[in-house]
Amino acid sequence: MQAARKLPAQNQAMVFPKVGLLSSEQWLVGSHIITALIALSIGIFLGPFQLFRRAPMLKLQIPVFSYYYQALTVHGVINALFFTTFFIVGFSYFVVQRSLERQIWRPKLAWVAYWLMLVGLLMVLYTLITNQANVLYTFYPSMIASPFFYLGLVLLVVGTWIVTTILFMTYYAWRKEHAGEHVPLAVFATLSNYTMWCVATIGVAIEVLFMLLPMSLGLIHTTDPQTARALFWFFGHPLVYFWLIPAYISWYTMLPKQTDSKLFSDPLARVAFIILLIFSIPVGVHHMYVDPGISMVMKTIQWIFTFAVAIPSLLTAFNIAAVLERAGRKRGATTLIDWMWKQDWGNPVVAAQLVGMLMFVVGGISGIINASLTLNVALHNTSWIPAHFHMTLAGAVTMTFIGILYWLLPMIRGRALFSPKVALWQVYSWFVGMLIFGYTYGEAGILGVPRRTDLGSASYVNAEAVPYLNGAAIGGVLLLISGILLFVNVIGTLFFSKAPVTGEAPIDTHVESNSPMILERWGFWLIVVLVLVIVAWGPVFLETVNFTSGFNVHGYKPDAPIPFP
Amino acid sequence: MIHIHRLERYWMIAIGIVMGGFVAALVASVLVYGVRLPTPVGRVDPTHLENTDVATPGLTQDSAHAYTLRVVAQMWKYDFGIKGQMPKITLQHGSSLKIVATSKDVTHGFYVEQHNVNMMLVPGQISEMDVVFNKPGIYHIICHEYCGPGHQNMVAVIEVL
Repeated sequence: MQAARKLPAQNQAMVFPKVGLLSSEQWLVGSHIITALIALSIGIFLGPFQLFRRAPMLKLQIPVFSYYYQALTVHGVINALFFTTFFIVGFSYFVVQRSLERQIWRPKLAWVAYWLMLVGLLMVLYTLITNQANVLYTFYPSMIASPFFYLGLVLLVVGTWIVTTILFMTYYAWRKEHAGEHVPLAVFATLSNYTMWCVATIGVAIEVLFMLLPMSLGLIHTTDPQTARALFWFFGHPLVYFWLIPAYISWYTMLPKQTDSKLFSDPLARVAFIILLIFSIPVGVHHMYVDPGISMVMKTIQWIFTFAVAIPSLLTAFNIAAVLERAGRKRGATTLIDWMWKQDWGNPVVAAQLVGMLMFVVGGISGIINASLTLNVALHNTSWIPAHFHMTLAGAVTMTFIGILYWLLPMIRGRALFSPKVALWQVYSWFVGMLIFGYTYGEAGILGVPRRTDLGSASYVNAEAVPYLNGAAIGGVLLLISGILLFVNVIGTLFFSKAPVTGEAPIDTHVESNSPMILERWGFWLIVVLVLVIVAWGPVFLETVNFTSGFNVHGYKPDAPIPFP
Repeated sequence: MIHIHRLERYWMIAIGIVMGGFVAALVASVLVYGVRLPTPVGRVDPTHLENTDVATPGLTQDSAHAYTLRVVAQMWKYDFGIKGQMPKITLQHGSSLKIVATSKDVTHGFYVEQHNVNMMLVPGQISEMDVVFNKPGIYHIICHEYCGPGHQNMVAVIEVL
């Protein structure tokens, strides 16, 4: 071992209190988490109201954002892009600082990133509220929004690039003092996640900076929608893994402590994260199976890669099931399967993650169905798709984030969770509501009900699907209640809770891992990712880009069939 | 290297077999059942459709039971060369239909109920798909990509006699 040497202040190892947070941590982590919650409070309630609007027996006008597509854009953009990103960044700072027992590199820079992302959020929110960006969260050209919408997104992404730099510099400072040691699994996963994120965001950055933003500013007058779609989905699929990996961090590294169990295999967890890193980008074409501009060859190649990216999730299923089996046995399970229900269902932190996993089983299976090339023809852009991704994003991801929130928010505030009972009701009403929504919208999708459509004023709705669309509204009621219960606890914990916080942060600082060190060679994996990205995406862009006449499609504001500007 | 528990090895083998089975089933769906996805057939300049395949939208009969439907999607209707909010074409059952479609403004969708027709209509690209209508009935064509405030009314009808 090297002798400890004098290091610059920001690199000094730190001692963190077991219970509660340092005040620097409290501010940094707290600001991100609370901003995420404010974003969620705007986005979340529009979800159930979409269901009420689309139920033929109700056709309810959406409150506040009465225009359906505006409400839908707010729901998608604010939940999926801003809530997730703020939450993940805050959680990442917490995990990395605590696991490495040192302060992050340049904390002031972290605040720069925070303010950039916050200004981004406010800009986007402004354009959404003023109806200048009713383009949904996929913002496909040739539909054009206000430049401030795109600028806001740019600020969000630039913020995350700064965050990536901070996290990696923190890691390298740790690495200098711990040559040859394994980095804790939670940090390992975080680094693989941000590596993937940085490569993935190149796609959307090119789309926004060279196509959408100049067009909305009137600097260019034409675009190429097929190429833009490819650039978006270059980013759009890894985006879902960017959300999922923090949930996996909780399942792999925190749940074992929360359930008095032990991780089954640390090396295989690392292998899973590396496979996720490698295969999450060269799969985006599976969102464009029915696009005209991409060949069957490239669709087939990325279909196979998509199946490859399912493997780490199947490995995770085994590893986490083993954790839960051990937990169940400690709670008295004796037979082959009774450990499955002998779990800590009364602890909201654990229960939220368990129901998230159950929904992820549904989301994973429906995802493999979507990814299945020709089966996609039956489902693409039907209501099956939101049914699927609400099992993953609003199921596995958001429920796990809420599970994290139920121990992290008390630590941030220094007070106990306001009401564990309300938290339990929140978890189970969410679970049942989301399953009802998933089932009914899945069925409606098979019958051909389109997604992203204001059925409340549509000229045609398939009569066979009506009972399902009405049934979904029952799920919507439960989800609305669940959303309210969530914020009862958030506000209660922040302002009304009296009892002191008692729980400890479920963080590992030392690791016993017998995984090969090659897994921690980030430069090497980055090269592997880039090579695969070029192989899988290079030909796609050669197919989509129009080399003879370049951009030749005019832009349109969403509300008029007149070319813009 | 990494130690892999016996049970986990079995699990991995099971994953391999299941995923392999899925791949085989999908290859069969293409080779045996003839399910097709849209592939590149040509580009157009959406502001100059006059000398292209879709210059005159509408239904043409190519032989006794074979038709071609040329469609130009726009905010917020399908142009078949037929007037009205919900344009309708009528075919005899057993007819095959080649659909040639594009968009002249923003991205639209083209979904036919109860048939394997599901395409994106992307401005600048031609989307093409063949379909056979064996069962009489009313089948709606639905735009399933958001295209503006009139999107939910972008519906057309294929009546099969």
